[in-house]
Amino acid sequence: MAAKDSPLKQFEIVPFSNTEVGSYDISFTNSSLSMVITVAVITLFLTLTVNPRSIIPSRMQLISELMYNFIAQLLSDTVGDNGKKYFPFVFSLFMFVLIGNMVGMVPYQFTFTSHIIVTFALAAVVFIGVTILGFVNHGIKFFTFFYIPGVPFYMHPLLIPIEVISYLSRPISLSVRLFANMLAGHTLLKVFAGFVVAMPFFSGALPLAFIVALTGLEILIAFLQAYVFAILTCLYINDAYHLH
Amino acid sequence: MPQLNPEFFVSQLFWLVVTFSFLFVFLWRVSLPRIGNVLEKRERKISEDLTSAKELQVEASKIQETIESQLKQARADASELIKSSSISLQDKAQAELNKLDKELEAKIDDSAKAIEKSKSESVSQIQEQIYEITKLTISKVGTFNVSDDEIKKAVSSTERSIN
Repeated sequence: MAAKDSPLKQFEIVPFSNTEVGSYDISFTNSSLSMVITVAVITLFLTLTVNPRSIIPSRMQLISELMYNFIAQLLSDTVGDNGKKYFPFVFSLFMFVLIGNMVGMVPYQFTFTSHIIVTFALAAVVFIGVTILGFVNHGIKFFTFFYIPGVPFYMHPLLIPIEVISYLSRPISLSVRLFANMLAGHTLLKVFAGFVVAMPFFSGALPLAFIVALTGLEILIAFLQAYVFAILTCLYINDAYHLH
Repeated sequence: MPQLNPEFFVSQLFWLVVTFSFLFVFLWRVSLPRIGNVLEKRERKISEDLTSAKELQVEASKIQETIESQLKQARADASELIKSSSISLQDKAQAELNKLDKELEAKIDDSAKAIEKSKSESVSQIQEQIYEITKLTISKVGTFNVSDDEIKKAVSSTERSIN
């Protein structure tokens, strides 16, 4: 298969400008465009639908309220009252990932959540923020997070390194989960799309049907991964408040 | 794999920071407070409506109670009135009847007396006449002499049979 027909070609970044600040290249690319579209969709939707501020909501306003309540409920279920402070951040994160995934489902539109650097940056913000929060709340005692009480003493030399490693791998697991799901889903769609073209006569209808089904699945995954990202962020925030 | 090509890492990070920061600040400062206000306003309206509904309900039950007590009072008054008026009517009727009875009795008495009087008068007249007739008969037949006293005695002895 030629390089230009590769299913991975869709992930290539195409710069629209050639902007350099110092020695850094901050060109506006198709990835940046996707991010801007995502942010525009979110801000416009949430602003315009709630603009009438009616007591009896319109259908569109109801969608915004549903999203608001969904994340508020998620935070209060996992973190409790402490979680209210982080609501804007978790909501932004959820909406950014969700709409980013959805924008990526539009044909020919770039999916920025399929890039490990983007998801890792988001996960790193969560990880660093939560770690700082843990130290602010508990000081040096935060290290007891790695000490599991009620375990025989001879298990600790084994368990503490495992706990530390699992803690440090949080940003990796968080970012790779989203990145890999998006990468795999979009690659699969492209592979089946290649089959539609490659197969003779009308037998291409079968992979086309698969694409339709997979698109539905991908929309589900787009939502699911945004939800997972948000709920794990909530759980990490909770860990920063309640050690074992 | 294009994802592992570090050529555009800085650009992606830069635009991620720009877009996500804008999104975060915008949602934090504008969108979320708006939605929160709407939800709060609705919550408040609902609870206000519920409170006022409860108050109205209490008021309505109070009014109901007043109506019932007034109705009860009115019924009691009415039955009292009926009772008292029927008693007074009965009394009046009784008094009227008594009076009538007395009058009738008096009239009966009068009539009885009048009858008695006329009866005794007629008895004495009859006796008188019997005496006259007896005396005349004796004087006409004339074979024996009877004194007036004897005749009178005989006549008065008939008084019982006349009665």
